[in-house]
Amino acid sequence: MIYDRPSLRLVPDDGDDGDATLTNTLRALYAAPESAGYWSALERRIMDRIARGETLDAWWSVPTQWARLGLMAAGFALIVAASLFLRSHAEQRQMAYDSVLGPANGGPTLAIRDAQTERQATINYINGR
Amino acid sequence: MTAIALRPAPAPRAGTFIRLVTTPDRPDDEKALVLSAQRGELEAFSELVRRHQRRAYAVARAIVVTHEDAEDAVQDAFLHAYRALHRFLPDQAFGAWLHRIVSNASLDITRRRKVRDAEDLPESVASPFRDPAESDELRLRLRDALAKLPVRQRSVIVLHDVEGFKHSEIGKLLGIPEGTARSDLHYARSALRALLQQLRSPQ
Repeated sequence: MIYDRPSLRLVPDDGDDGDATLTNTLRALYAAPESAGYWSALERRIMDRIARGETLDAWWSVPTQWARLGLMAAGFALIVAASLFLRSHAEQRQMAYDSVLGPANGGPTLAIRDAQTERQATINYINGR
Repeated sequence: MTAIALRPAPAPRAGTFIRLVTTPDRPDDEKALVLSAQRGELEAFSELVRRHQRRAYAVARAIVVTHEDAEDAVQDAFLHAYRALHRFLPDQAFGAWLHRIVSNASLDITRRRKVRDAEDLPESVASPFRDPAESDELRLRLRDALAKLPVRQRSVIVLHDVEGFKHSEIGKLLGIPEGTARSDLHYARSALRALLQQLRSPQ
């Protein structure tokens, strides 16, 4: 059959100093099957699989399947990260305010006595109460 | 069935080191086949399989370790190509497109094998189609050395020295820069030459 003999092109070597022995041995090792029957059978197997509508879960179908899940996961992660960031940012801002203005409660405070109470205490002392 | 025109190969120049390369020629005819296959004509796709399966096998064989894996990669690649055919632009070279798919399918198989057989690497790159000279020491040792080379280096040297791909084509097939393909070829050859040298001048 004509297609069992692939067309041949003679290509000059592109300047690589290949080792002839090495190249010849490699060619012998990697020689494709020569039997025409082998190639007919392979072609038949391929076409049978296509005709059966066989599907493959291989590398390029994976991105399509996982892309949606990946996007959803990434979106969720983004929301979580954003909320954590905002929360952390709010806490940091509160701490900055606190450091400047002093804490809202707790800590040492300067007690200012009521002036009226002081005067009353003096009067009471004079009156000997 | 479309008529086939055979183009005679040009005569080599005297003294030129030549390399035999199978090539998908008859581009107009092939474009017609692709268009027919894209319309769903299985016979047209079958013709494309017939024309390209040997070269596809060669690409796969350069990347995977065993003949069986190469066969699987070729089948998978054609299935993927058929499924993705509607995305293929008929003005492009079908062969180059297919080879990239074959290369990816082969690398995929190699990765899966690595995971599955991490502790059970094949001892050789044996094929049921090898000739009886399997016992030849050079060949045996070369097989072992090839099996020990990193996948990419082995692929590069086989694609270049056996299949006649250029560095740029290998780069595109394996998804690496052309310079990397050159250096991989250099390292692979050095490793294999060292082996051959040992064999030629035994201690």
